[in-house]
Amino acid sequence: MAPKSSPARKARSRPRPSPRRRQKTGVARYYQLYSLLSNALNDGTIAPGTALPSEPELSNRHRLSRTTVRRALERLENENRIVRLRGSGTFARQAPAASKLCLNLHSYYKDLPSIAAQTSVSVLRFEPEVLPAGVRELQSRLGERAFVIQRLRKFHGTPYQLSTAYVPESVGRQMRRNSLGSTSIITVLDRIGPKTVSSDHTMSAVAADDIASRALGVALGAPLLRMRAVFSDSKGRIRAVYESLSRPDQLNVRAELERVRVRSAPRPWRLRPHETGSAKR
Amino acid sequence: MTARTNTRTGIARYQQVYTVLSQALATGNIAAGEALPSEPTLVRQYGVSRTTVRRALARLAAEGSIVRRRGSGTFAKSGLEKSGATRKVTRLLDDLRRVGSNTRSKLLAFERVSTPDFLLREWPEFGERALLIRRLRSIGDDPVVLATIYVPEDLAPLLSPRRLGVDTVLVALDKLGHRAVTADQQTNAVAADPFSAQHLQCPVGAALLNVRQLARDAKGHILDFTNFVYRPDCYELHVQIERGNGRRARVPR
Repeated sequence: MAPKSSPARKARSRPRPSPRRRQKTGVARYYQLYSLLSNALNDGTIAPGTALPSEPELSNRHRLSRTTVRRALERLENENRIVRLRGSGTFARQAPAASKLCLNLHSYYKDLPSIAAQTSVSVLRFEPEVLPAGVRELQSRLGERAFVIQRLRKFHGTPYQLSTAYVPESVGRQMRRNSLGSTSIITVLDRIGPKTVSSDHTMSAVAADDIASRALGVALGAPLLRMRAVFSDSKGRIRAVYESLSRPDQLNVRAELERVRVRSAPRPWRLRPHETGSAKR
Repeated sequence: MTARTNTRTGIARYQQVYTVLSQALATGNIAAGEALPSEPTLVRQYGVSRTTVRRALARLAAEGSIVRRRGSGTFAKSGLEKSGATRKVTRLLDDLRRVGSNTRSKLLAFERVSTPDFLLREWPEFGERALLIRRLRSIGDDPVVLATIYVPEDLAPLLSPRRLGVDTVLVALDKLGHRAVTADQQTNAVAADPFSAQHLQCPVGAALLNVRQLARDAKGHILDFTNFVYRPDCYELHVQIERGNGRRARVPR
């Protein structure tokens, strides 16, 4: 349907980059194939129960040796993501149900307590300190010093989130380390008051540094989802500046959006308002 | 206790150290002109050999991200931090064009395909055939996002590469009278595979921001499914959440 000279037509005839081309990248060839297959399994491009391309097919398509292909498949097999059946091929496994936590931004304040209840926490740091320059830049209204609360959250024994909250020193002094438990930071702050009524979140992806990789049990440089948030009370005063790093294989962040019903164009998007009173789904 | 810079990850240790340091430089955690930690410090911090640290630093030096001055140490070069011009914070579902006038879009694919299984499994109403559009958006010289879009067959005839131009698929459909009013998004981090690495000009394995989104019109018909992969040094997703006031939600799907 595209006209002859369209860029799409040209693009189609261009071969997809094969892993072989990138050699001196510090990334093993097998890892490059592994990452392609792993992303395809994660996003469902290769659906559970369906067959993966055969070893000779993968080896031809990506111009890789059979040994390299096998190594990529072995790693996926060790991670329990594929099953290899002798004589019939390699198949994508069904991801175990409820193996992943889900955070819904459209029902954020309602979900936080239930996530806290399903998970366990260890408090790594709880002390007043001079704010790191990065945080002060992010939120100058917090002042020079703040209480830092660093916690590691686990789900079914697997660490999935390393969070750091900075709260005003006066508020931090009213908290007790052992009362932090697995309770969400919002709940802890609400007990002291005033209530948090809004938050500003920024999501990004970062490579795990030495601290995050140790705490979360992932390789140095592995991708993590970073959420930064500023929590405020009804008068716009800062309750906390927060940053969490989450393992993408353990946590999903979802948001249901809708267009605001106003006459002005373009109509902006917002989170879909959800029932807050009861826990009924 | 040392960090897990295991060779069994398939990524060389020097590459892992390189990734983390180049991130610190790009985000300004190590500011322009500031000294990097010494080699012995880096050795301890990452639990790797001196050779590995040197190799990571050599790569940063070759790229021009750091300067090594004999006798005084290693320093971050200035002008690495992406601020102002390129670094954009964007709202949940903004058209990238609104955040910068100099955005460019390159069409990589525009073809009819069988709807992939993962879409059919989750949304059987998508239909057996779909239009696949793949495009790369850049701001200035920086590639920012690689988008893979599926449009249901019934809407496909409305679109052409020309009609699309620089518009997003949702904006193009809006102009044609099909307005998106709800969207379901999932956000996560992914490692760059060789395909996205090539287009987004980042190393394989680099951390990228992934947003998967399904949009519907007022009647609940699917308009498109898009898989966005963003370079995190050029793009962040922003959302403001107000605590509920007991408002009733409309009937969930």
